[in-house]
Amino acid sequence: MSKTVILYGTESGNAELVAEDIGEELNGGSSVVISDMSDFDVAELSPEDFYIIICSTHGDGELPTSARPFHESLSAASPDLSGVKYAIFGLGDSSYETYSKGSEHIDRVLTELGAERVGEYGRHDAADGSLPNDAAVTWSQSLPLFV
Amino acid sequence: MNAIKDLPSQSPTIAIVGSGPSGCYLAQYLRKRWKEAEIVIFDRLPVPYGLVRFGVAPDHLGTKAVARQFDRLFEREGVRFIGETEIGNRVTLQELRDAFDIVVLASGLHGDRALGVPGDTLPGVHGAGRITRLINGHPGEQIDGLRIGERIAIVGNGNVAMDLVRLLLTSPERLLELGVAEDVVRALEPGSVKRIDVVGRSAAHDAKFDLAMLRELTKLPDVSFVAQNLADEGIADADGIAKRDAVAEIAGGSPARAARSVHFHFGWTPERIIGQDKVQSIAFRSTADENSTLLLDVEGVLTAIGFEELTTSPIRRSHHESAESELDKGYLSPGLYCAGWLRRGPRGTIPQNRVDSKMVADAIIEAVDTAQLVPGKPGLPALLAQNPSNSRHTEESA
Ligand SMILES: Cc1cc2nc3c(=O)[nH]c(=O)nc-3n(C[C@H](O)[C@H](O)[C@H](O)COP(=O)(O)OP(=O)(O)OC[C@H]3O[C@@H](n4cnc5c(N)ncnc54)[C@H](O)[C@@H]3O)c2cc1C
Repeated sequence: MSKTVILYGTESGNAELVAEDIGEELNGGSSVVISDMSDFDVAELSPEDFYIIICSTHGDGELPTSARPFHESLSAASPDLSGVKYAIFGLGDSSYETYSKGSEHIDRVLTELGAERVGEYGRHDAADGSLPNDAAVTWSQSLPLFV
Repeated sequence: MNAIKDLPSQSPTIAIVGSGPSGCYLAQYLRKRWKEAEIVIFDRLPVPYGLVRFGVAPDHLGTKAVARQFDRLFEREGVRFIGETEIGNRVTLQELRDAFDIVVLASGLHGDRALGVPGDTLPGVHGAGRITRLINGHPGEQIDGLRIGERIAIVGNGNVAMDLVRLLLTSPERLLELGVAEDVVRALEPGSVKRIDVVGRSAAHDAKFDLAMLRELTKLPDVSFVAQNLADEGIADADGIAKRDAVAEIAGGSPARAARSVHFHFGWTPERIIGQDKVQSIAFRSTADENSTLLLDVEGVLTAIGFEELTTSPIRRSHHESAESELDKGYLSPGLYCAGWLRRGPRGTIPQNRVDSKMVADAIIEAVDTAQLVPGKPGLPALLAQNPSNSRHTEESA
């Protein structure tokens, strides 16, 4: 019953659209679920499933609002995530010093709890005014989906 | 189109007045609920996106990119944009309400708040809204002999004040590259600004700017930053301390001598602008010590202390409020809602309008799903049948 779960943490909605585009791209074989990180129960993280995390950066390198409850629950509950595999794509803007830092908070806590990051760490820089969607979809095509 | 039923309720016809972030986010949420509903966004300007286009600084391309997200509404989501149609003028609000089941006012707030001190209408005093509209090529804004000068005071210490500091210290070449019009660049003379004093009422730890915006200033070449009145006591929260420290750090880390300088002053209230037929100086009084004053000789004063409803605006929220209105969810009267800056005042960034619009969308969806509002109005065809192209400058009626 393994599925791909796309979790997005967003402030302005861009990460949500990226999640939707990747969801569309993957909707070939495996079953895909898309969820706002703030609607996702961390107790459901399972080695059975594969996670794709799309997370933006807010303000001075902080987590976007919708990713905060996820991060807080993980930090508080400290579940053992051994065997859980995820890929991550960070959104940011290099006009600011803290470019793409938001996703790194999530990456760090997942790794600390034993989860394993697979594939390349995806990033998109919005400083030139481009949307992350194309880069993210290309990135998702290179992911080892059935790990 | 609106004949197709989405259970449990029929989809309503929806008109949104204003294509800024609040109107666009609202259309996104309503489209998620009603895949087939007619959703039309009206704007008085020929192009959409409000302050994303005409407020956000041209060098903040990453922020402006949210417009590309909204493009999808019109490209793939079947939302219709009708520009050059001012509601309350070209088309009355009543006509709109007669044609559509739901009308949402998301028309923003566009008046620069005046300082309200003697001299604040002297030539040489300019609102930040006007300057940022000019920089962004707003079709309704004229240069009108504008000259900024070499010594400027900016009143206010929010993010818009930071935008102005940064833009006025950006090279003319870079501004042109970013698409700012040549005559505007010439009027702003960004290359020749020597000194900017940024004066705010609050202490540094209470200043309204975001840290990231302040830090961005350090990228400007050949600028020395000077900070005054950095209070040490009475700062309760970590954010406040971080802000105060960041100001101190920027001042400490910048060159002592440079071709341009930016002076931050915290804790001063403007008292008077002095000049014969144009600005010569501006006087402030300390918020901490009423005997203490600050007098700055300047060629220009830019006010960045916020926005308010224009008294000339054809849509004013207060005209549509009644005892039954519930502003905290955007409800004005049956079928009439408001969102964004018009609903909650001129505060908050683009993402905050997303939260706001979600809330208003939920209120609308609930009204339809619980049959408090029963759809049935035909939408755009009914409006077009009234032939609005034959422009009538009628007053809006509620
Ligand atoms: C100078 C400036 C810079 C800013 N920079 C940033 C930034 O960098 N990042 C950030 O997150 N936020 C920024 N903001 C804040 C952000 O722009 C606002 O939060 C947001 O635009 C408010 O959205 P809104 O939809 O309520 O109003 P608006 O964006 O003002 O949109 C209102 C729309 O309604 C239209 N309209 C008005 N009256 C009528 C009428 N009668 N009929 C039809 N159409 C009408 C207008 O033409 C406009 O398109 C900035 C604001 C300003 C003023």
